[in-house]
This record gives sequence, C-alpha cells and structure tokens, in this order.
Amino acid sequence: MEKGKISSLQMAIMLYPTIVATAILGAPSITAKYALNDLWLSPILAALIGYATVYIAYKLHKLYPKQTVIQFSEQIIGRIPGKILGFLYLFFYIPITGEILRGYGDFIADSFMVNTPIIVIMASMVILCALIVRGGIEVLGRAAELFLPVFIFPICILIILLSADLDFKNIFPILGDGIMPPLKGAIIPGGWFSEFFLIIFLLPFLADMKKGMKYGMVTVFAVMMTLVVVNLIVLFVLGSTTSSKVYPLMNVSRYVSFGEFFEHLESAVMAIWVVGAFVKISVFYYAAALSTAQWLNLSDYRPVVWPIGILIVEFSFWSFPSSMEVSRYDIIAFPFHGILMQTIIPLLLLVIAFVRKRNKGTNTR
Amino acid sequence: MIRNVSKLLRKTKEKKPHIQNNYQDSKPEDPLNGEFSQNVETLRLIYDNCSDVMFRSFLLFGKTRAMLIYIEGLSDIEGIEEYVLSPLMQESANVPQPLNDFLVLKMPVSKVKRVKMIADCIESISIGNPLLLYEGESDGFSLGLSKWEKRAIEEPVAEGGIRGSREGFNESLEVNTSQLRRIIKSPALKMQSMKIGKYTQTTVAIAYIDGLVDKTLIEEITIRLERIEMDGILESGYIEEMIEDNPYSPFPQILSTERPDVASSCLLEGRAVILVEGTPFTLIAPVSFFSLIQSQEDYYQRFMIGTLIRWLRYIFMVLSLLLPSFYIAILTFHHEAVPTALLLSMAASREAVPFPAIIEALIMEITFEALREAGVRLPKQIGSAVSIVGALVIGQASVQAGLVSAPMVIVVAITGISSFMMPRYIAGIAIRMLRFPIMLLAGTLGLLGIIMGVIAIVIHLCNLRSFGVPYLAPLAPLKGKELKDVLWRSPMWMMDTRPSFTGKSNVYRQSPEQGPKPKRGSETE
Repeated sequence: MEKGKISSLQMAIMLYPTIVATAILGAPSITAKYALNDLWLSPILAALIGYATVYIAYKLHKLYPKQTVIQFSEQIIGRIPGKILGFLYLFFYIPITGEILRGYGDFIADSFMVNTPIIVIMASMVILCALIVRGGIEVLGRAAELFLPVFIFPICILIILLSADLDFKNIFPILGDGIMPPLKGAIIPGGWFSEFFLIIFLLPFLADMKKGMKYGMVTVFAVMMTLVVVNLIVLFVLGSTTSSKVYPLMNVSRYVSFGEFFEHLESAVMAIWVVGAFVKISVFYYAAALSTAQWLNLSDYRPVVWPIGILIVEFSFWSFPSSMEVSRYDIIAFPFHGILMQTIIPLLLLVIAFVRKRNKGTNTR
Repeated sequence: MIRNVSKLLRKTKEKKPHIQNNYQDSKPEDPLNGEFSQNVETLRLIYDNCSDVMFRSFLLFGKTRAMLIYIEGLSDIEGIEEYVLSPLMQESANVPQPLNDFLVLKMPVSKVKRVKMIADCIESISIGNPLLLYEGESDGFSLGLSKWEKRAIEEPVAEGGIRGSREGFNESLEVNTSQLRRIIKSPALKMQSMKIGKYTQTTVAIAYIDGLVDKTLIEEITIRLERIEMDGILESGYIEEMIEDNPYSPFPQILSTERPDVASSCLLEGRAVILVEGTPFTLIAPVSFFSLIQSQEDYYQRFMIGTLIRWLRYIFMVLSLLLPSFYIAILTFHHEAVPTALLLSMAASREAVPFPAIIEALIMEITFEALREAGVRLPKQIGSAVSIVGALVIGQASVQAGLVSAPMVIVVAITGISSFMMPRYIAGIAIRMLRFPIMLLAGTLGLLGIIMGVIAIVIHLCNLRSFGVPYLAPLAPLKGKELKDVLWRSPMWMMDTRPSFTGKSNVYRQSPEQGPKPKRGSETE
C-alpha cells in the first residue's frame, strides 16, 4: 500500500499548515462574532479538543499499530459495522476535502482573480495535489518541509511591519462578559482542532513511532500559539470591527505601509494561503485516497487518486451552491460534524476496544 | 466483487512481455591454435581492408618465422624498433629455450602479457599494444608499447576559478586516473574498469574510496553500467542518460565535472566518480540539488565570502527562474502590487509597445537564448560580431523602434546574467528551460500561476532521487547537521562530518574541535 516512511518531525510539519492554513484566514472573524475582544482566548480553549484528539488517536494507534481507522474499526466493532463506519469516514473526508477546495477557490476568486472561472483555480490545485499524493507520503513530507518557511516567514514579516499600527488597548476589557463568550467562540475553532485526527493516517508510517505522541502535542501547541498571535494582531489592528470582515488577515495586510514601497502585501497573504491550502488539501486528499483503497482492500492506493480528485472537485460544487453556503457550513455544521467524526467516534472506538480487550483478558483467564 | 476489482487493478500493473533483444555482441570466441600461418591468416581476414593495421613479419633470431601486428599511430614505433625488433632479429646460433619464457623474462618492455583468445588479440591490437606471434607457439604476446597523441593537461574551460588548481581532466583515461591518484595517494582509492560499446569498446572506470563509499552504491552503478548495450560511447553524456534515475526530469541527477579537485572532494565525501575514456567530463553520483549549485571555490575562499556568494547564487537562481514571470504577472494582473510611481514609469515606457507583456517577454527571452547558443557554436573570431549585433539589436534598436520596452530589456538582461551565475552549466540548463512554462503560466494565471508552477517544480524535486538519495537532501528530508554546507558554508574546522547518503558509513572526516586557538604573546607559558 504505502511503503514510505516519514519522521515524526515531518508529520508535525505536515500537520501544522494543514490546520493553520485555513484557520488563520477565517477563524479570527468567526471567533470574534462570539468572543468579541476575547477572541484570542478561544484558540487556547479550542486546543483542548486538539490535545484530546491527538491523545485518542495515539492510543488507538498503540492498540492497532500499522493500521488506520478504516482497518481497525472493522476489528473493533465487527466486519459489517466496521465497513459502514469506514464508508462514513470516506463520506466525511472526500466531501470535506471538496469543502476546503471550495473555500480556497472562493478566496482566490473573490480576492485576486475576479474574472477567472473558479473551476480553473480549483482544478489546477487538484491536479497539483494529485501529483503529490501519487508521489506518496515521503514526497508529501518533504514538500511540507520545504514549504514551511514560505508559510512562516510572511507571517513574521507581517507582524514586524504592522508594529506601527498595533493598538494594544483593544484587548481590554479582558473577560468583560465572563468566560462564556470565548467559550462559545472556541466551538468553531474546535472543529479545526479536531482535524488533528488526520494523525491516525500518518502514524502507521512513522519511522520513529514513539515520538508520535510528543510531536502531535507539540503541533497542537504550535497551532494554538499561532492562532493566538494572529487573533491578537487582528484584534490590535482592527479592534471591534474584526467580526465584520470575512478574511481579517487580508484586511490587516492592507495596513502595511513601510517606506512607501512595501505596500499591499496581499500578495504575500495569497502566497501563504495557496501554499498552505496546497499542503492542507494534499494531506486530506492523501487520507481520502488511502482510506478508499483500504476500504476496497486494494493493494495500492495510486489507481484511485485521479478518480477521487474528480470526486473532490464534484463535491466542492455539489455540496455548496454559493460561497455563502460554504461559510454557513463552516460556522453551523462543521464544528459539530468534525468533532463528531474525528473526536467523539474515535473516543467511542477507543472505549469499545478497551472494553473488548479487557473482556478477552478475563475470558482467557 | 471487490476482490475482482482489486484483482483487475493488480493485473494491469503486471509487466508487458519482454521484447526479445536482438542486439548482442558477437565476439569471436575461438582460441589461437598452434598453427602460426593459420593464426596470421585469421587475423588478416579480421583486419581485411584496414590499411592502418601493420603486419610486420620477421625471423626470430634468424630462424623462426614471426609476425608483429600493430596499428600505426597507436603504438610506439621507436620502442618497437629499439626494444622488440632489433634484439629479436639478432641472428644467433643457439636459440634460447624455452622461447616463450625467454620473451617474457628478457624482453626490455614493461608490460608483456600472454593472450590465448582471438578476441584478446584484437583487444590488445586495438588499444595499441603490438601483438607478437611466432611459429611453434600457441599463445600470442601482447607488448605494452601503446603510445598515441594526446592533449596536454590544460586549464578546465567550462569551470574556471580564481583560486585553486588549474589542472583539468583531458581525453585520456590514464591521464585522468593518474590525476586522481596524484591527489588521493591512499591505496583505498579503487578504480574498477569495464568496456562499454560494441564498436568503440570505450573504457569506463568507476573510482571510489573504499571505506567511505556505500558498497551497495558501487554495486548499483556497476549493474546500471553493465546494462548498457550500444554501438558506442562518445561522451560521458551517453552514459549519464543511460543510468539516470528519472530520465524524464529536466534536472541532472548526475554531476559532471572536468576538475580533478572537484572529483577528489566528491570521492572524499563518499561519492563515486565515473571516468569515461575520450572525454574530460567525469560523472559524479549520487548528487543532490545543492551540490549542483556549489562551486569548488566556496571552499577555497574564506568562509564568510563563501556563504555570501552562496546566498547570492540562491537569490539569483530564483531570479533567473522567476523574474520575467513576475514582470509579466505584475504588468498583466497585479498592478496594485507595485508602488504607484514605479508603475507609472513602467506604463509610460510600455505605451508604444504593440505586444502584450507575455509576447514581449517571450520574444526577448527566445532571442536571448538564440544569441547565447549562436555565441557558443561560432568560431571565436565571429563571436564578437554576434555580441555586437546582439547588444545593438536587443539593447537599443528594438527599444527605439518601440517594439520592446526598456524595462523588459533590463529584466531579460538580469535574467541572463543570473543564469550565468550557476557554477555548473548543466544545472543552469534546467532553470533556463523551466523559465518558459512558468512565463506562460504567469501570462495566463498571474501570480497564482507562478505559485502553481513553483509548487509543481517542488513536487517534482521532492520525487526525484539520485541513486537512491533524495534530491533535495539535506533540506527535505531535513538533516539538521548537514545544513552547515547548504544554508551557509561552515568554516573548515567545523565541517567534522561527511554528508550521509544511503548507507551508514564512516561519519567523521576530521577530528572535531580543531578551531584555531592561537596563544597571545603575553600568555606564553
């Protein structure tokens, strides 16, 4: 199936853009709707879901090393129910990849390429992702390593160049309305943090499995810190208007003006976004292709890569008639859908697996 | 049903039936026989219509009929006269017995080898060693008297430098191997040679340092070289294309150099060097992308300037790949990304230009590539004419005529200069070629197209391997310690470890902590 091996550092480097890429653009405004000026606290609360998901995934991996959720769910809850659950996962990961792709396409089409048909933007991205998915997990890991600086440096530069526009007073009052607003605001980023369940598709290919847990947790922490910093920057620059913007980081980047030459850094944001979306879609795409192949008991996942690519493009159109629907799904459905599929069901699987193992232990005694 | 599908899928992966190979070497496999005249006749038939092959018959010690066969111009005529013919043709009453032992022991020639097969006779003759046959002896004698005209050791033309050895490889394999041996005197330097090419019988030598190189690498190279069955090897480029990992990649996966010092440093890092007869360009494998854009002089100069020059090269490599594309994208799609004043001056200069930016850029870039190619092939006397015409036509006339804008000329010129910054010519070629598809992408999708193109190149590079070593190592997969030779050039006393390739081998190349710590005058003990 997959013969490649990656290091746990590579896994962390793959996961970090996977979560952060979409989160830094959309999350600040969505969080701000509920948490107001406490939006920087929400990622910290939401990260708890991330920690829990990584923990659950790692425990499941310890019980069934070398297997992904598609394979071991059959062993935990039986063949037929396992296949049904596997299908549910397929039907979760393929459309969700389509949704991410649609989000990417909408952003590019709305902000930069107004006259370009969205299908061109999306199809070109899927072709690139299919190429890298066919290359295997090693290639994916190496590409992620190369793209990480592209992802981090522009954010750092943005922060430095924005330092003149920061208004630190916007942070007050801290917790003016109690803990409830940031808690509500944490639910939606929580959906993003539940995506850490993707780790279950990467753990079986680690060369150093023991470090998997550690690096998973480090990644959650890094994502949390990034979101806190981005939310703070957005809050400092935009203040209470944050929630009215669709992509606050874009608006923030327009504030940059340095020596009358470094202006209009939107292109830098676009570079971050395209590269981040590329890694994110590739990792999801890889998970979708791998689980499809495993669900069908194929010997290799490469033959299904192109068909699934077409499915992903189709889903990105079928599921969402307009970009309004995409953000509605992001806010209303995904946090619950994502947490259900990626945190709660794995938790149930883990509990069942533990109970069965204990029963087996007592039976043999 | 699912099983059937998977079976089907598996079936499609099975290999097509192997096509029968009709191309085989037909070497005469007969041995020489005891009949002197029959042997001579066989060889005469083989060398029918070869006017350069000389058959010199004489009487050995005035009694035995003998024949000396050699090729004119490949053998040392004076040596033959002085050391072979004149002592052997002396008439003497008592012929020394046994004759064959006498020949091997007493003839004043450094290399005498007995040959038994017709094929070996032919090989001996064709590399210039005269063959001696005489009556009553079933073996031939191959005399090491080959000598032919060769070029002297000169300064390498394609890889110049300010500091460092000025010697380059030349076309003779013996000279090249001796140059390596002169630098690396240890007997651990091994050379395995083989012959490739049905007609050319080109000698190819694999050089490596025992104990530093991964044994499986040498095995792999040998297997790939033995696979080659073709008429002739005229240049190491033939071999390079036959043994590459990914033949469809624009990037070279094998480094070629004509500098013995570069080859030696690669040997000392645990790489293998493939020397090919008839060309000064030797092949080095495995290589990574970064070794293609490092120059030997990075190590000969002080480390600070080495590091800075390396970064200059990285920056200009990116410029060489992307600058025209950026210019096109900005002019066509992203006006807002440029400061207003700059945009206005660019727009003013483009006012008279009738072409869209992408066409303008393509015209200029293609013209530049043509000029460059013309300059390489032309005789030196005409070369200057080309450069004058090029400078006038491209630089001035086209701008004055309003066909091309002045900023575009600047962009093309900077791109051209930056593509000359690549220290290895072959690495520059890949960048030069890839510039054009990215320009097309920039003309159609703007900045997004450029990013897409770059992502596609990165995917390809991540996929690529050179003899099993990831092409982008040590950056991806990340090997923290080895970045010392990629992101910066560490001082010599900090480069304690060799780069790691496939296997685990001897890691340290010098004893650690050798940083100079001179004592000051007042601190003397």
